[in-house]
Amino acid sequence: MAVVTAPAAAHGPLFSPAPETIWKGGTEITGGYHIERATGAGKEQQEHEPFLEFEYGLTADFQIDAEISYPFKEEDDASADGIGDVFLGAKYQFWKRDLPGAQYKAAGFLKVKFPTGDDDSEPRVGSGSTDVIGGLATGYEGRRWYWFASGVYRANTEGGGGLEKGDRQFLNVVGGVRPLLTEYGEPDTVLMLELNWEQADRDRLNGAELAGSGGWELFLSPVLWWTYRQVAIRAGVQIPIAHNLQGSQPVSDYRGLIEFVYHF
Amino acid sequence: MMRWILLATMALVLGWPGDASADKVYKLRVDGLACPFCAYGVEKNLSKYEGVKDVEISVNEGVSRVTTEDDANFTEEVARKLIEDAGFTLRGFEILEAPK
Repeated sequence: MAVVTAPAAAHGPLFSPAPETIWKGGTEITGGYHIERATGAGKEQQEHEPFLEFEYGLTADFQIDAEISYPFKEEDDASADGIGDVFLGAKYQFWKRDLPGAQYKAAGFLKVKFPTGDDDSEPRVGSGSTDVIGGLATGYEGRRWYWFASGVYRANTEGGGGLEKGDRQFLNVVGGVRPLLTEYGEPDTVLMLELNWEQADRDRLNGAELAGSGGWELFLSPVLWWTYRQVAIRAGVQIPIAHNLQGSQPVSDYRGLIEFVYHF
Repeated sequence: MMRWILLATMALVLGWPGDASADKVYKLRVDGLACPFCAYGVEKNLSKYEGVKDVEISVNEGVSRVTTEDDANFTEEVARKLIEDAGFTLRGFEILEAPK
């Protein structure tokens, strides 16, 4: 999940990274639940993944974060669950322009995924590989309107059993609106719509490319934010609208995500 | 004698000039305040400063009103640093009320 989730210190996308960082000395705890399902090519894959994320602001423009999950995976008749892979990351907001009631900002981030999940199970709970994820995000946050754009690259390494998942690239654009301009201390609602493009290179097994892997998928993702003081609930669904996957492989049916956020 | 009684009465009615319990109120104009959720960091940062008694925020006005004890060392430089650490920019600093 850490590839796509964004911190919630301010309103940002749900399925893609945001340029926000939490304030100096601020801590944010996010508890979430992610589901996804893919079918096709005679396969049925399903994943339920509760997760916990911590963020801390070393300065107003530099934060560190950590994420741990506990995935439940099903593939056809097999199922497995356990502690997932741990992500540790950092984000630096390298540009910001404050205006009355609005902010423009841009940030870069880096995450490392450690192979803490079991990669001997069937299906695998962890990948068994140490992967690096980096990206850039920019955006505008106003009283009424929002927009964001981001690009992410995930470099995967060889995991257990000689399997190396293909590197992945993500491009995202997001728009949002606050229907009612509520005041501080009042419940606040924001609606967002994301367009998420994901491309995967072919997987490799002991150095040889696997035919039924790689390709791209495009998702349209409505997102709802509800906040009250330092508490937020955000939820969304990724609906696949186009794909071009190589060979014979399952295609995403849907993905869903809900998060409960508290910062202090 | 009558003059001292009169002066004492006036002082009681109007309050002593050096009343240590008086508060100061500041109006901070904050740029970048776009949402109530992200403004929480402003409230937290300002509230933890020594001598600050109350913080009110209006995201629609882009303003924070800070009430401090009379002897709090709440200067424009202090406010600027606290606002910047919260991730925003201080555009204006104004004393609304000072002790009489």
